[in-house]
Amino acid sequence: MQAVILAGGEGFRLRPLTRSRPKALIPVGNHPIIEYTINALVENGIPDITVVVGYRREQVVRYLNQSELDINVVVQEKQLGAADALKCAEESVTGRFILLPGDNYIDSASVAQIKSAGNALLVAEHPQPSNFGVVTIRDGQVCRIIEKPDIYPGLTVSTGVFSLDETFFDNLNSLEIPEAVNRMIRNGTPVRAIPTVGWQDAIYPWNLLKMNSRVLKSLSACRSGYISRGATISGSVQIGKATKIGPGTVIEGPVIIGDDCVIGPDACIMPDTSIGSRVSVEPFTYLKNSIIMDDVKISSHSRCVDSVIGEGAVLSDHISTVTGIFSAEDSGSGRLITGEFGAILGDRVSAAPFTVFKHCIVGNNVSIEEGRLISGTVKDNVVVK
Amino acid sequence: MCGIVGYAGRRDAAGVLIDGLNKLEYRGYDSFGIATSDDGIHIVKKQGRISENGSSVSGLTGHIGIGHTRWATHGVPDDKNAHPHTCCTGDIAVVHNGIISNYAKLKRELIAGGHLFSSDTDSEVIAHLIEENLNGSLLEAVNDTVQILEGSYAFLAMSKDDPGIIAARMESPLVLGLGDGEIFASSDMTTILDYTQNIVFLEDGDIASVSSDKIIIFNSGNQVERAAEIVEWDAGAARMGGFAHFMEKEIYEQPEVFFNTLASVDDGEIIEEIKGSSGLRVIACGSSYHAGLIFRYMMEECSDIPVRVDLASEFRYFRPVSGELVIAVTQSGETADTIAALKQAQMHNCRTLAITNVLGSSVTRVADYTLYMRAGPEISVAATKSFIAQLAVFFQIVNHLCDGRYNYMDKMCHQVIEEVLLLDMEDAVSLCSGAGNLFFVGRSVFYPVSLEGALKMKEITYIHAEGYAAGELKHGPFSLLSKDTPVVAVCTPGNSRTAMLSNIREIKTRGAPVIGIGEVDDPDLEDIVDVLIPIPKSPVSGQILAVTVLMQVLAYRTAKVLGRDIDKPRNLAKSVTVE
Repeated sequence: MQAVILAGGEGFRLRPLTRSRPKALIPVGNHPIIEYTINALVENGIPDITVVVGYRREQVVRYLNQSELDINVVVQEKQLGAADALKCAEESVTGRFILLPGDNYIDSASVAQIKSAGNALLVAEHPQPSNFGVVTIRDGQVCRIIEKPDIYPGLTVSTGVFSLDETFFDNLNSLEIPEAVNRMIRNGTPVRAIPTVGWQDAIYPWNLLKMNSRVLKSLSACRSGYISRGATISGSVQIGKATKIGPGTVIEGPVIIGDDCVIGPDACIMPDTSIGSRVSVEPFTYLKNSIIMDDVKISSHSRCVDSVIGEGAVLSDHISTVTGIFSAEDSGSGRLITGEFGAILGDRVSAAPFTVFKHCIVGNNVSIEEGRLISGTVKDNVVVK
Repeated sequence: MCGIVGYAGRRDAAGVLIDGLNKLEYRGYDSFGIATSDDGIHIVKKQGRISENGSSVSGLTGHIGIGHTRWATHGVPDDKNAHPHTCCTGDIAVVHNGIISNYAKLKRELIAGGHLFSSDTDSEVIAHLIEENLNGSLLEAVNDTVQILEGSYAFLAMSKDDPGIIAARMESPLVLGLGDGEIFASSDMTTILDYTQNIVFLEDGDIASVSSDKIIIFNSGNQVERAAEIVEWDAGAARMGGFAHFMEKEIYEQPEVFFNTLASVDDGEIIEEIKGSSGLRVIACGSSYHAGLIFRYMMEECSDIPVRVDLASEFRYFRPVSGELVIAVTQSGETADTIAALKQAQMHNCRTLAITNVLGSSVTRVADYTLYMRAGPEISVAATKSFIAQLAVFFQIVNHLCDGRYNYMDKMCHQVIEEVLLLDMEDAVSLCSGAGNLFFVGRSVFYPVSLEGALKMKEITYIHAEGYAAGELKHGPFSLLSKDTPVVAVCTPGNSRTAMLSNIREIKTRGAPVIGIGEVDDPDLEDIVDVLIPIPKSPVSGQILAVTVLMQVLAYRTAKVLGRDIDKPRNLAKSVTVE
């Protein structure tokens, strides 16, 4: 059994977080999303993996090179969608294979469900099915997949995880994958629908927080680094090598902290927080339910809740995020989208003291002067005076 | 300058040797050959690359063997000059890396004594000398032979009647790997690490008798013990993964390499030694020399310790000043010129410090102190991540001597590299790939950065590229400027900016297209250049890294457009272990 993982798409609805990496490489629980997919396959005894890369391919390859697995990489030169990406992998595939999106969370149990099922599709329930392919099912078999419908017949959606064989490529010719599956079904090859709960997608940046708290639930405690005896740590907490936890710091798991960080003294890290590597969190700063990526600096007396902070952001003292309902128009479909969160900051945002982020999305390389109240959406490279 | 491998064990020797030679190809790739032994010596040797002709050895049998990949010094690269070389009867086979400086005299004597030579190489004399001295034991014959050899060598010898390999080393790299019932020999431990992490580093003058289960080492006739060291380099780092070339892979590894090296340099004793010295003298070749020049600019700006930087091959023509600390910079730790210069400095009572990437390499055995760059194995012939690692070591030295003045800034530096790796520079690439000549110019610390940029460009694209101090252009090279000679000009904020802007205007006036490298949002620069490549805002240490990496990427992409053999450019080899 082989597996093909599609990791070539940018995931533009997750901007500004996809400037320097494709969606599959966004860190959730300190590991790129694609890593959960790869692990689920390996745990099911499927180490023969082909990854199709495209957007920012160098970053994906660089990540895959760190793995001990010998993963086959195929390049999709132009980003022409998932079907084209799969087509690129045609030569690497013989016999049966599992097709997975590299940018969705999938657990090992779900892979186990589908790996010996013959032609099959993993399906899941989702409250907003319009963002996905909606699946109609009869007697456990897929009838039809309807891509991103405005009016939907049910809440069952396609996870994008298929079990197929190489003859599927014959159906593919210039069709999108769901269309090709529909045609295959019409032509008399049945596809089983297998319901799963071990799948999650992040369409918009704030969905990452939910995925983050999900993966942190299965976090096992593991501590290295230098932890002050005056620090209070409870719950499952992972701390990376050479990280310093100062005295008076309180950490309540589940929390994961990467390598070479300096946390505290007297910092407060509350549950569902992922902190990348080389991050510094200064005294009296409070973090909760957030993703803090690599190389971020958060100065003292700050509060960061329900937020995603991009790589290399430098946040000065007395900065806070305010959680609330954000709404905007989806740039693709034009639908009104809403989400509840604190702040989504792109890479290398710098904010002067006393900045308040009020449920806003801030682009990459934005710099903000002292004492500003930020709301709505701020584009890349803007200076907020 | 060549690569040698040897094997004694239970596997088919030919397979192991070919695998090893493939990894050693960076040391030379003019021709290759292997010899194995079972009931006699079997040899296959060929002009060309092992990666293209490796299958031609598949018929060789035997569990003992030696192999060689060549970078020609004596004799053109062809089939007959390829190693292994044999004696007159073909019963003794030798592979050799280094130069036998008295070979001409030895060869005349041997020919007078009736020996028949079949190649133009210096190495063949070793085989004939062993034959001459052979009287039962191959070990003794080798021992007698090395007494007459002058020059540098690492060689492996085997004979039809001997159940093992004899290894000898003098001033050329040779390591042994201890496996389970098998023993490996190689010029470079990266070939061995796939099989075992137990590495024995041979010293100059060592002669080792190697069989599948034991190694006995002699030096000056006495048996000596050389303890095995455990080497924890990741052998997987020598895999290309999904990148198109090793150079691309290594370029993208630079943020981590820089950060890891910066974090690892923390040696108080060395810092005290530097503080106590009357001056620093950096000796190096190629890219390492440019790293030394950059160090000089940074160091002399913030401390009173004078820094001189010399090319290792020219150092011998100067008189070292006692009391100076001599810093030898070499990625491989085997660069012959650098090691020779270091030894000369020691004879003049200078303390010595080596900066190298390879644990246990020759330079670490010569120098008083060693600082390691944490670059991991670098396979591409053009230095990229090792250069960045050298800068990290130098930055950290400056840091310690200038009371942490650069400390915070350096911590952010690896992010600047990440930013540069996201840049798109298609316009600049198309300008460069269409040119026959290129100039790289900068002022202050960006002068050596430009030298390095030009070196990268010429070595992998074969475009004639010249690095110049921007102020020097009008003292001669201006006569070469025309619309067909693009100039890459570095103009970053700082004290050289105003002068640089006027230099660029002067260049433009002569009609040459200018590729400007400057900070983002610099309208003054944008107005006067043809193509602007913006680097992120950062302190000067970050700018140095940004411009360096940017020039690497520019050279890489240009070479890719031109379809060059990027990882193995013509006529070059990675470690230059001959003078």
